[in-house]
Amino acid sequence: MRSRDGQSPPALGFLTIVGHDQHGLFGGYLVLNHNGRPLEFHCTAPVKPNRAQEILYGPTLEPFLYGEQIGRTLVEKSAVEVRLICTDLAPVLALREYVSAPVALVLPPEVVQRASSPSGGPQTQDAAATMAYRVDTAHLRGTLPAAFSLGRNRLAVADGHADDRQCLAAVLESLGGHFDLFEPFARIRGAIDEAQRAAR
Amino acid sequence: MKPTTSRIARSLGDWTWWPPRQPPVAKIDHSIPLFETHSLDAHLLVAAGPIEVVSIAPSPLRPGVVSVPLGGLAIKSSGYTFPQPTLAERVPAMPAAPLPADRRLASPRAAAPPTITRLKPPADVIKLADRLFYVLQPPLETVVAGQALDFPFHPFPYQLEGIAFLYPRYAAILADEMGLGKSMQAITAIRLLLHAGEIRTVLLVCPKPLITNWQREFHLWAPELPLTVIEGERAKRLWQWRQADSPVKMANYELLQRDRAVLAEPGLHFDLVVLDESQRIKNRECMTSQVVRSISRGRNWALTGTPVENSADDLVGIFEFLSPGHLSPTMKPRRMGKLAGDYVLRRTKDRVLTELPPKMFRDADVALTPEQRETYRLAEDEGVLRLTEMGEGATIQHVFELVLRLKQICNFDPATGASAKLERLSADLEEVAASGRKALVFSQWVGTLDKLARRLARYHPLAYHGGVASRKRDGVLQEFKESPKRQVLLISYGVGSLGLNLQFAQYVFLFDRWWNPAVEDQAINRVHRIGAAGPVTVTRFLALATIEERINQILDEKRELFDTIFSDVQPHRHGGLTRQEIFGLFRLKCPSGPLDLAA
Repeated sequence: MRSRDGQSPPALGFLTIVGHDQHGLFGGYLVLNHNGRPLEFHCTAPVKPNRAQEILYGPTLEPFLYGEQIGRTLVEKSAVEVRLICTDLAPVLALREYVSAPVALVLPPEVVQRASSPSGGPQTQDAAATMAYRVDTAHLRGTLPAAFSLGRNRLAVADGHADDRQCLAAVLESLGGHFDLFEPFARIRGAIDEAQRAAR
Repeated sequence: MKPTTSRIARSLGDWTWWPPRQPPVAKIDHSIPLFETHSLDAHLLVAAGPIEVVSIAPSPLRPGVVSVPLGGLAIKSSGYTFPQPTLAERVPAMPAAPLPADRRLASPRAAAPPTITRLKPPADVIKLADRLFYVLQPPLETVVAGQALDFPFHPFPYQLEGIAFLYPRYAAILADEMGLGKSMQAITAIRLLLHAGEIRTVLLVCPKPLITNWQREFHLWAPELPLTVIEGERAKRLWQWRQADSPVKMANYELLQRDRAVLAEPGLHFDLVVLDESQRIKNRECMTSQVVRSISRGRNWALTGTPVENSADDLVGIFEFLSPGHLSPTMKPRRMGKLAGDYVLRRTKDRVLTELPPKMFRDADVALTPEQRETYRLAEDEGVLRLTEMGEGATIQHVFELVLRLKQICNFDPATGASAKLERLSADLEEVAASGRKALVFSQWVGTLDKLARRLARYHPLAYHGGVASRKRDGVLQEFKESPKRQVLLISYGVGSLGLNLQFAQYVFLFDRWWNPAVEDQAINRVHRIGAAGPVTVTRFLALATIEERINQILDEKRELFDTIFSDVQPHRHGGLTRQEIFGLFRLKCPSGPLDLAA
C-alpha cells in the first residue's frame, strides 16, 4: 500500500460481502475520499468454501472467510491507504488483526434506532444473537462488541482494539460529522451486481 | 448437567487404572473446583493420603489417519481506480453572491427528502470500469445535503432524477414539460460534472431572449461558476470564444451563425454543448443545425419541451446533433420511439407535480361583430377566388398570407376597429383587476398588442414583445411583478413564450391562436409552473365560423399522432400545420412538391 500523506484528506474504506446462492461469496471494497467520491473499487471473483472447510471451520468459517481471506486480500490490493475501514458485517471485524487501520462495524439505521432505545442494544438484536465467532486468539471471542455512537453513525470495534474508538472519533471529526457510513455499502452491492451482469 | 462422581471416575478411568478390590486411592471433593470451561464443570481431585499409582504400558495403537486437505482459498480480485479532481483544481471559483432572502429556504437542509437517487449508467456505456464509476458515485441527495456544494433549494425528487439522467450521458434530450425546471437540472448536472472534473468546457446555446434568464438561473444554482456570455463586437467575441479560463460559455443561435468560422477553428473544443429550445435544429438542412453540428464537442445535450413539434422528422433532426445516424426519417414511429428511449427523459406536470395548482381552460368562443363578419366574408371570398385562379401557381406563401389576413380580421376589424374578442377580454379583465391579480394577454402580432394597449389603457398594461428593446425587457417584467398597478402584460408568442418565469400571474388570455399548440402551451406555462401562486385560468379566444375554428379542428386531430410516436417517453405531442393542411383550410388542392411545415 502506498504511504499516506499526512496532509491529505482522509480516505475511507468500505468492505462488505455479498452472498450468491449459486456462485458463492463476492467481496467488495470501496475506497472513498472525504466527499464520498469513489477512489478505488476492488471486488473478488466468487469464493465458495468446500464441504470439508464448512465442517472443520464450523462457526468460525465466516470470520475466517470474510475477514482473514476475502477482506485481507481486498485491502492489500488497494493502492490507497485508508484511515478507517468500515464494514456492515460483524465477521469482517476479524480483518482487524491483519491491517493497521481501525476496522469499524457500522450498524444499520434500524438497529441504531432500536439500540438507542432504553431497553435495547446491538447485543440483544436477533442478528447479533445468531452470530458466531472464532474462539482462538486471531479473532473475536464470544460476544458482539459494545456499540457506541459517533455523530449520525452507530459503530462497534473489535474486542481487543478498544483504542480504535478514539481513532474513529478523530477520523469522523475530520470529516465534519456529515458522513453517512452506512450508505456506501449499497453502492458496493450495486457495483457487484453490475459486475455480475457484465460477466453474464 | 453436572457430572457425578462415578461419571468422573469412569471418565478418568480412561487414563488411570484402579486395581480390583483395592480401597479407593482418591476421593472426590465437590467443594473445590478443579477447572472451569464454558463446556465442562469438573472438580478437583483431593488426595486423601498417599496416592498409589499403578501404571501399565498400553500396547501401541496404530490408528489409521485420514487427511482432509483444507488448502488455502484462491481469491481472485479485480480493481478499478477512478479519477479524483477537485473543483479547486478544475474550475476557477467565483465568490458566491448572497441569495435574495425570498429565494432561500428557511432551513434548506432540514427538509431533505428521504429518497435515494443514484446515477445509472446509460445503455451505451459498455466498459465495466465506466459503468462502475457511475454506480459507485454517492446518491445525489448526499451531494445536495453535503457541505461541498451549496444549493439554494432542495430539488424535487424528479429533478434529481433528471440530473442523474443527464450526468452520465454523452447524448441526451431532457424533454420535460415547460415549468418543471429543465434549466435547473441542466445547470446542476453541469455543475457536478465540472466539479468532478469530467468536463472542463461547456457551451450553452439558447434563443437570444433567454440569455438573461439563463444568467439568473446560473447565478442561483451555480454561483461559483464563472460564466461568459458571448456578445458584442466581433473582436470581443473572438476573444471570448478563445478565452480558456471560462468553463461555461453562453451564446445565442443567431450569433453562432455569425461566428461559424471561429467555431470551426481546430483548437476550439467543448466537452459539453447544451442546446436550449433545441427544436431550433429540427430541420437538418437549416444553417443553425449545420453550425451546431460543426462544433467540436464531447457531450451533447438538448433541452426542449417540444422534441416533436410537427412530425417525427423533428426528432431525427435533433438526433443528428446528438448521435448522427441513430435515427432515420424512414423509421416507423414505434421503432423510432424505441431507439430514442434511452436518450430521452420526458415528464409532465400532472405526473410529477401533483401539488401544482390546477390549470383551468376556458374556450371563449366569440361571434364576430357585424362589421368584422362583413370584412371577413369579403376578404375570404376574394382571397379564395384569387388562389383558385392561380391554380398550380399558388404557393404556400399565398395561402399563408390569406390565413394571416383573416386571423387579423378575427382580432380587429381594420376599418372600424370593432372586436368581439376585445369586448369579451375587457369584461374578463374587469374581474381580474377587481381581484387584484395579474394577467398575461398573448397575441402573435405586435400590431394587435399595440391596439390592445390603447383600448385597455385603463388597466395600465405593460408590453413585452419584439417592439420593446431588449435592454428594457427585464425592467418591464420587474415592474409587472412588483407594481400593483400593473396588472396586465401584453406579450407576444415570439418573445414571451420561452423561458420566462411569470408564476406570480394567475390568468392567461390567448387573444389569438398560434399555429402550434405546443407554443401555446409554452406561453401558458410561463404562469403555470413551479411556484405558481394559485390556480391558473387560461382563456382561449376563438372566433366562431372562421379560419380559427378550422385550424383548431386540425390541430386537435394532430395531437393523436404524437402519442403514437412516443407512447413510452411521451414527448410533447402537439404539431403545427403542414402545407397540405394549410391548402386544405380553403379546400384547395396542394400543388406537388416537398412538404414545408408552417410552424
